[in-house]
Amino acid sequence: MDCTKASVLMSAAVDGELSFSEEEHFLSHLSECKECSGEFDDAKKTKMIIKEKIIRFKAPQALIDSIMQLTNFDTRETEETRLYD
Amino acid sequence: MNKPAPTQQKKTLEKNATLSREERKKQLEFQNEAVVHLHSLYNYALHITMNPDDAEDLVQETYLKAYRFFNSFERGTNCKAWLFKILKNNYINRFRKDSKEPGKVDYDLIKDFYHSIKDTRNDTTEADSDYFHSLLHEEVYQALHSLPEEFREVIQLCDIEGFTYEEIANMVDSPIGTVRSRLYRGRKLLRVQLEGYAQKHGFNTDDNQ
Repeated sequence: MDCTKASVLMSAAVDGELSFSEEEHFLSHLSECKECSGEFDDAKKTKMIIKEKIIRFKAPQALIDSIMQLTNFDTRETEETRLYD
Repeated sequence: MNKPAPTQQKKTLEKNATLSREERKKQLEFQNEAVVHLHSLYNYALHITMNPDDAEDLVQETYLKAYRFFNSFERGTNCKAWLFKILKNNYINRFRKDSKEPGKVDYDLIKDFYHSIKDTRNDTTEADSDYFHSLLHEEVYQALHSLPEEFREVIQLCDIEGFTYEEIANMVDSPIGTVRSRLYRGRKLLRVQLEGYAQKHGFNTDDNQ
């Protein structure tokens, strides 16, 4: 495997989306290529930064309540949702 | 979400004789399968609309549509992915056609969001020389939003929401190969942005440690 081929597989390798044999070839290339190996580490790090540093917000209670009304067992509220049927 | 206890549920069922058995089953299944993803949908809506009111409208609309068409949801597949696809279509139909300019980043809004958040940069317990830990939440957010939409979208769906390539490909109506290359290029672009911030904090990112 050359560097071009490795770069095509790079993101899939980061995300665990490679087939077993693809992964084998990819890793064997990394063991011989410092550049691709560094790029692989950087890509993994970038993914981790996004995962850890992007903050998740809680949905506002009013929104939660209104969505829950859709599936509420209360008759009155259920009739309301029927308007959308 | 709150699931009624079996006994309580039974009682309610008897009371609501007007409600068909089928409808009740649908409601319960909808709660378990779809409503549990409410926070994810809201966060994604916030990211693409950059406006809390629009995000609420979008999520509300998505759930109304999802409930109405719940019978067409293929059981056993990823319901979250199904909901995201509906949300995305709603967004395109509704907001793109409006006079609203898509992709315009409202930095005041970001500041409001991140304003009250205590950043961990200064109180991290790990002794690290890594630029990773120097980055502020707000900087990562801005870096992500500086990317062209096609790259930002796949990174969000993959790294934040944890969808598979197949699910993402279906959501963005592109082949898996395109998803792969967008992720590859998007992460490269993102890294340039992040390293810019890290350098501002005094980290030399050229170092290969």
